[in-house]
Amino acid sequence: MEVEFRLEPGRQEPKLVILAGAETDELRQLAQELSGLSLDPVPIWEGELSRRLPQDEFLRFYTDGKGVCAQTAAATYAVHLRLYELEELLDRRKFARISNSEIINLNRVTAVDLSLAGTIRMTLDGHVAVYVSRRYVKKIKETLNLGGRRGR
Amino acid sequence: MKGEIKQWLIRLGAGGALGALFVQATLYFFWGSFLIPAVQGRPVHPFGIPFWLVMPQMAADFGSADAAGLIQLLLSMLFGAVVAVSTLPFAEGGRALVLRSLAHFVGTGTSFALLLGLCRWVDWRMVPVCLFLLALLYLLIWLGRWIGWYSQVVQLRTLLGLSPGPSPLKWKETLPYLPFILLVCMALPLILRGIEQLFGADIPVFTGLLYPYLILPAVGFCSGLSLGKHQGLCWLYPPSCALCYLPTVYLLFNDSALFHCFMIAVPALAGVVMGWLYRRAVPKKAPKS
Repeated sequence: MEVEFRLEPGRQEPKLVILAGAETDELRQLAQELSGLSLDPVPIWEGELSRRLPQDEFLRFYTDGKGVCAQTAAATYAVHLRLYELEELLDRRKFARISNSEIINLNRVTAVDLSLAGTIRMTLDGHVAVYVSRRYVKKIKETLNLGGRRGR
Repeated sequence: MKGEIKQWLIRLGAGGALGALFVQATLYFFWGSFLIPAVQGRPVHPFGIPFWLVMPQMAADFGSADAAGLIQLLLSMLFGAVVAVSTLPFAEGGRALVLRSLAHFVGTGTSFALLLGLCRWVDWRMVPVCLFLLALLYLLIWLGRWIGWYSQVVQLRTLLGLSPGPSPLKWKETLPYLPFILLVCMALPLILRGIEQLFGADIPVFTGLLYPYLILPAVGFCSGLSLGKHQGLCWLYPPSCALCYLPTVYLLFNDSALFHCFMIAVPALAGVVMGWLYRRAVPKKAPKS
């Protein structure tokens, strides 16, 4: 399949056009999957300064009692968005809500463990431990199936 | 939160009603069978209702059949209600799950003991035995739930492209050790007994002293240590050792030798834990490239 880029200076959101001889089921599925992609960077705050970081950089977003925080491999930042607003903004194939107070980047999960007491623990990037509420397990599996990441 | 309270109330109500029905139906249909032997005489009917039965001793304890009937009804409703909410603690996880489960077990155990004892279904001396059986049932249910959760974790790992990890409770990893344990628990004592008989020993030093007090603990500990070192915590190994030894108890000895099962299971548990601690303390060396 040929891929062609046409740059339009000033365009805010990328637009994809599929050129084909006929509209097939595969193409319809591809279009549906592509339209679901969210590529918008996430605005974070460092004191008074605001920056936008690409979604892939984030390990997780969580509430800490004062507000919403975003953690990357390097640092933790404040985010002036609610978790449900972040859910709307983030790529649904990569990010999933794992509890009432946390959204994680599924691409950064390096281990999943279960304790004898039934607690599911995920490890992000080998060192950040997060705990999954069992109420969200079904939703996480749906997200993973959507992303088609078996045998990543 | 409101929905959760509503769910609890519905379950408590339905469980109470079913509990009362279940208890009455059990008494009615199983009176005089092996389940409820009619050793106490004929049942009495509170308020003259033919389907409503209580034990005659209970009626004597409470002064009248009517009072005994009402107390039995309340206790059976309480037991039914507690059992009906037994799946709700499992909706949580971690510490909350453990605390809720323990609280639920205390509730179930208390209502069960009161039902058995006050209603005179069993002698009070037998109540601890029944509670022990209830605890085993709880453990079994917990194990079933845990295996269900573990299969979810395996699914998550697979979907994430990670290794699926060990089998539930590492039963597959434990299997290779069982033939060895079977040999030690079943073949070795038979051989030792044969040797004793061959030499016409008066005192069974091998099977009566050396085997249960030295060989069994040493084998249990060393094999547990090896398993723990290679596979980590394998909780099924100690009870498996005890189970493997159980036939030998009845083949070579008698009930009085049942404690031999602990002589291998407890050292096996100690070995597994020590091996696991060693594994944690001394990480595997990376292969040289």
